Amino acid sequence: MTFLKVIRWMVWKDLISEVRSRETISSMFFFALIVILVFSFSFSMDQQAARELIAGIIWVAFVFTGIIGLGRSFSVELQNDCLEFLQMSPASKGAMYLGKVMANLIFMLTVEIILFPMFVIFFNLDVIEEIHILLLIFFLATFGLSAVGTLFSALTVQIRAREVMLPILLLPLVVPVMIAAVEATKGALNGDPLAGYWQWLELLAIFNVVFTVVSFWMFEFVMDS
Amino acid sequence: MNKVIRRIQRYQGWFGAGAAGCLLVGLYLGLIASPPDYYQGEVVRIMYIHVPLAHTSLLAYTVLFGGSVWYLWKRDPLVDNMCHAAAGLSAVFTSLALFTGMIWGKPTWNTWWTWDARLTSFTVLLLILIGYLMLRTFIDDPEREARFAAVVAIIGFVDLPIVHFSVEWWRTLHQPQSFSLRGVSISSDLLFPLIMMSIGMSLLFTYMLLVRTQMLYLTNLLHAKKGRLLGQFHLSKADS
Amino acid sequence: MTAFYLRWGILVVGATILVVLTYRNYEENLATMTPEQVLANSPTEEIRVKGLVRGGTLRGELEEGRASFDLAGEKDTLPVQYEGPPPENLRELKTLILIGKWKTPTRTFQAREMALVTNYGFVMGAYIVGLIPLALFLFFMGRKVCLLYDEIKQSTLYQSESDTHVDSR
Repeated sequence: MTFLKVIRWMVWKDLISEVRSRETISSMFFFALIVILVFSFSFSMDQQAARELIAGIIWVAFVFTGIIGLGRSFSVELQNDCLEFLQMSPASKGAMYLGKVMANLIFMLTVEIILFPMFVIFFNLDVIEEIHILLLIFFLATFGLSAVGTLFSALTVQIRAREVMLPILLLPLVVPVMIAAVEATKGALNGDPLAGYWQWLELLAIFNVVFTVVSFWMFEFVMDS
Repeated sequence: MNKVIRRIQRYQGWFGAGAAGCLLVGLYLGLIASPPDYYQGEVVRIMYIHVPLAHTSLLAYTVLFGGSVWYLWKRDPLVDNMCHAAAGLSAVFTSLALFTGMIWGKPTWNTWWTWDARLTSFTVLLLILIGYLMLRTFIDDPEREARFAAVVAIIGFVDLPIVHFSVEWWRTLHQPQSFSLRGVSISSDLLFPLIMMSIGMSLLFTYMLLVRTQMLYLTNLLHAKKGRLLGQFHLSKADS
Repeated sequence: MTAFYLRWGILVVGATILVVLTYRNYEENLATMTPEQVLANSPTEEIRVKGLVRGGTLRGELEEGRASFDLAGEKDTLPVQYEGPPPENLRELKTLILIGKWKTPTRTFQAREMALVTNYGFVMGAYIVGLIPLALFLFFMGRKVCLLYDEIKQSTLYQSESDTHVDSR
């Protein structure tokens, strides 16, 4: 199988199983909904406070739901020893990695795009003009999360206490993604000129390139049987 | 026993003696012989312990990174022991650097903690190292443990500069640049004890690395030997 | 094992000497007197006096490094004549350390330098926090390595016995 074909089949297989079971996206979605609810209870916000805090709240909710999705991404492969078949398969491990990154990216972005209107409604946001920039920020930050998270999902699924270890390993590493995403989102929501937060988008792009390359290389060692 | 371990055993004393010598001389210079700083007064003496600790924790992480790449390349268990040792030492040095930094921050900035770029990136570094050490306790198969740990160490090392830059940008956005340490030029009277302590700390790290590598290697060796004895015991029982 | 403890003993002796030297250095060069002690004893050598700059008494050209003021202690005050580098921290109602000589004839304190009051607890705390855990960590690690070498030697002996046992079978 060629490299691109492997990627396409990995994405396809994940999407098909998700469409049939609807487990990952629905669990991510309801978890995020609960997070939003908890946040709106814990901070009683007026318009001004909402402006300051909303970017952080959005990304905390997105990152935690993302971790749920990432954790499931490989733990579903444990059923029927699918993980071992992936490890033994002669297909390129790098292509598998890219396929999984794509699949996770699609899941996470889907949930984010469903959730974002709820934030808009619940917290009275004003976004119609910057929506394309926001989508770009979501895409870049989620890609970064998925690039590192997929590798660590494949790693932690093979050890004890995997539910604990995935966030412990992942969260310190995605600190730059969190900072950049929050700052850029805040800039976009406040309607600042693009030049004011363009550097954060650049940082996200650099993070994505670096970690896709490094994780692509490292994935072979994680999937070594 | 391993040839490398025997060589370590023979030469480690030199590093230990060198470290002890440099540190004692450095402490004498730093605590007694050097003059107080013009701006900070006597409190500047904390620098002679804080800055070397911080340097050494980064040195330890660099060793960990180099060892991890080497391990993935050659798959030598002794290199993995060295990585494990370097990670533990890096965690110790990082937390000590953070604590001494907090003690320095109180009299100079009048706060124990500030989200300064360096403090924040060192905290992230500490969290990565703790994650690394925790990960190692959760894996039973030693070969897999070594492999996964190496992957985590490499990813973390690549991440560190990005963390540092992002935190620095973030901080300049949110806080006035009132207490940056950058730009404070260090006069040569203060520099000499600092260099002495830095060299001493690096030698001390090397010595500790050698000792800890031996410790982990010997623990594994003993484990293996006991396992073999137990295996023979079971064997002879089953045979008789 | 004996050699190991001997090495650490030497190190502890070295560290103790350093601590004693530091403490004496502090006592001789950095310890301060109060204005009352100066008035009572009239010392002739250079001393360090710690006190509060009294409000309403500070006058002189600070930029040129000349000033006169009263330094208050618990009960008494000391008239001070300062001449030296332009002081940055000289303000009324501030506690300072002055370095200089007591002139008995004019009953003024001739200061040539001033320093901020240092809380030596921070310096001491930083060194204790930095060095003691490191030393303890290294000590226990080194001791464990020694013990492990011993244990491995013994287990080798034990292994050869069991080898003969397997052979005799």
